[in-house]
Amino acid sequence: MLKEFRKTLAKVLHLRSIIGYNSLVYALKKTPLIGKILPDRLYSTTFLKVIYWIFHVIREVFALFFSKMAGLGSVYLASLSITMLYGSVKMLGGMSKQYAFGMFALLFFLIYAFLGIVLNTKIFEKTTEKDYLVFMIRMNAKKLNMTLFGYDLFRMFLGYLLTGLIPALLGVPVWCWLGIPVLAVFIKLFAAGFLAFRYKLKSRRHKPLHGTPAGDMLKVFLICLPIPLVFFMVVGGYYVPVKYLFMISAAMILAGIWGLFELVTSGHNLHRKALHDGVIIERETVRAEKARVKSFKRIKVNGTVKGNKKGFEFLNALFVKRHFKMLMLKPIVCTGLILALIAFIIGGVIYDYYTTAGYEGCLKMVLTNLRNLFLFKGFEDPLGQNEVDSAFLFFRYAVQDHLLAFFIPISIFDNTYKSTQAMYINCDNSLMTFSFFKKPDKIIKLFDIRLKQLICVNLLPAMAMAIGCNLILFATGGQEYPFHYLINFVVIGCMSISFTMYWLSIYYLFQPYTKTASVKGGAYNAAFMAFGFLMSIIAWISVKSQILAVIMLVFTVTFVFFIRKLVLKKAPKTWRVKG
Amino acid sequence: MEFVISHLVKSYGSKQVLKDCDFVFGEGRIYGLLGRNGSGKTTFFNCINSDIDINSGEFYFRSGNDAQDKVSVLPEDIGYVVSTPTVPEFMTGREFLKFFIEVHEDITPDKTIDEYFDYMMIPEDDRDRLLKDYSHGTKNKMQMLVNIIAKPRLMLLDEPLTSLDVIVAEEMKNVIRRQKEGRITIFSTHLLDVAVDLCDEIVLLNHGRLEPIDKNNLGDNDFKEKIIAALRDEEDA
Repeated sequence: MLKEFRKTLAKVLHLRSIIGYNSLVYALKKTPLIGKILPDRLYSTTFLKVIYWIFHVIREVFALFFSKMAGLGSVYLASLSITMLYGSVKMLGGMSKQYAFGMFALLFFLIYAFLGIVLNTKIFEKTTEKDYLVFMIRMNAKKLNMTLFGYDLFRMFLGYLLTGLIPALLGVPVWCWLGIPVLAVFIKLFAAGFLAFRYKLKSRRHKPLHGTPAGDMLKVFLICLPIPLVFFMVVGGYYVPVKYLFMISAAMILAGIWGLFELVTSGHNLHRKALHDGVIIERETVRAEKARVKSFKRIKVNGTVKGNKKGFEFLNALFVKRHFKMLMLKPIVCTGLILALIAFIIGGVIYDYYTTAGYEGCLKMVLTNLRNLFLFKGFEDPLGQNEVDSAFLFFRYAVQDHLLAFFIPISIFDNTYKSTQAMYINCDNSLMTFSFFKKPDKIIKLFDIRLKQLICVNLLPAMAMAIGCNLILFATGGQEYPFHYLINFVVIGCMSISFTMYWLSIYYLFQPYTKTASVKGGAYNAAFMAFGFLMSIIAWISVKSQILAVIMLVFTVTFVFFIRKLVLKKAPKTWRVKG
Repeated sequence: MEFVISHLVKSYGSKQVLKDCDFVFGEGRIYGLLGRNGSGKTTFFNCINSDIDINSGEFYFRSGNDAQDKVSVLPEDIGYVVSTPTVPEFMTGREFLKFFIEVHEDITPDKTIDEYFDYMMIPEDDRDRLLKDYSHGTKNKMQMLVNIIAKPRLMLLDEPLTSLDVIVAEEMKNVIRRQKEGRITIFSTHLLDVAVDLCDEIVLLNHGRLEPIDKNNLGDNDFKEKIIAALRDEEDA
């Protein structure tokens, strides 16, 4: 039996190493610049494979030390803290510190193990190597699962035992430092056996084995359950006596024996079925991809484009008409929310004024300030009863000196990414097979039409934000200089335009989407990350709005000009269906 | 007019898919491009259609017999029909044709939109439905139709009859035959019978090279055996 175990494990580890090595080479070969110089023979270079194998073993050892030891180490650290805390307020009730530590460690370990049962029972989970071995090489699924499970149990036991060495040297009782690793094994057996039992029941009722949303909700509830219990225990200075913990542990050991029985008696077919339609990560991904594509395909004939639009104008107008919800919902909702927030604040101010100054005073205040708004002045309090507080002055400072920070909300409200996904899935992906669609003049024509349309859409929330900024200025003393209100519109508008331009252009320059609208391509991801990094730096830079207006205007015009040139030059080669 | 392939090379890493390909395709003829799985038929089409970059070599049109008279291949010179039809699914068939005709300003259509539909035998009740609701065969017809309207000099057909029912396949074959005059048609397929039945000449893509197969007064069955023998590797023997 041990020989069989070793043989199966060797096969799995060997395959895991091959998959790991080939995936690494594949990823390197797909990396821009490096990929082109790497030869194909890398896949078969024995020397490099040996080096990878050494790293693979080191990684396995690190996984053992860091994941297992870090987990139990945290339990021990938490127990130490609580022991010290209880000791400092003399709440240990005559127990030695080592004994109290053991008690808390056992309690916290049971909670930790409970979370592990809910979250980390992976015996039936499909991995790439299981996929190959069971479904292609047709290895016995039960034998494979049990071997890998046995290997995991051994690693866990060893890791926990090593973690317990320090408490053992400090005189912690043996039932703690040795008992916890043994208990962990039984708890794992129970968790795996329980899953096998559940699958057996589901299988008998011909139900799919994968999880359901209700099951996920239950998991979240169970995970959150221990938090208030521990909180009340610590706040109240309570503890669970060791004898009760022993009773729970004994019950868990019995449950573990039952789990082992369930596992041993479970058939090969159950393991195979569980791998096939049970907790399959890849399948979930495929399901999510299908659902995403389906969401893009929800189109109906809702009339056609009226007027005399022709060619690409007609194509785009029709596309917008048939994808209105997809393209417009987010910007409209965001705009609505911003305007509703502004209206809510203004309403609050007016109501507050009404309650203190009455109808007449309130009307006077509203009319005076409406006049002031149209004359580009600041807020005026006819009764002199409101004072501008420091919070408002902070917002004024932000609007005056930190308009660049508005890149963050602009990026959140921008809908270009989803729009380009829809464009690819429902339009470009098919038209790209036609030669006319790849002609530079046609590409740039459609690019310009789309750019204009996306700018208009994304400007809606941006302009609502600019209104908000100007109202902050208005409420805190009005314009700092002439045309300040106007300049805020210009700066935020330019930021929104640049943002839209960037997203649309990287779609044309890198075309990253697959047929399921997933992103594929190192260059696109690099551009995405570089932009995020740049934005996270820029957002903190302090620039006066009038200077920023000049910079943004020049930048936006130059950016649009050069990016259009780049798209015109490069897109006929880059804007294509990914293989 | 001739379409000339000269020393065309395409590699993926160290794997050479097209090795120094040379061939001259003549006008008014249908060429059946045959090759085994993975022989590079789609790669060859993608190279010609400029979907992928070539490593070296060239392809061009040549009028008459003057070898120096090279005419570059422009995107509008090529019509490409792929086996899995791809049409903009958010448009109706009629809207797609309207759009297609409008963006091809240089083309004067010789038929009305409905006449084009009739020509391809696309039923009336399909014409104002979204393309996403079309059957595989009707999508294929639409793809073929827009390529007919564009009147390309070179028509690349990548397994266009795959997974079509017998009726639609027969209709498509007739359309391809009717459209061959005045252009070069290269038709790739796995179906030997279709190739022998439809094509005027058979070209093999074998070991990265294009090789013509001469029929030499052979009957269809002997000709097929000759093709199979040419495609069979030494290891298969």
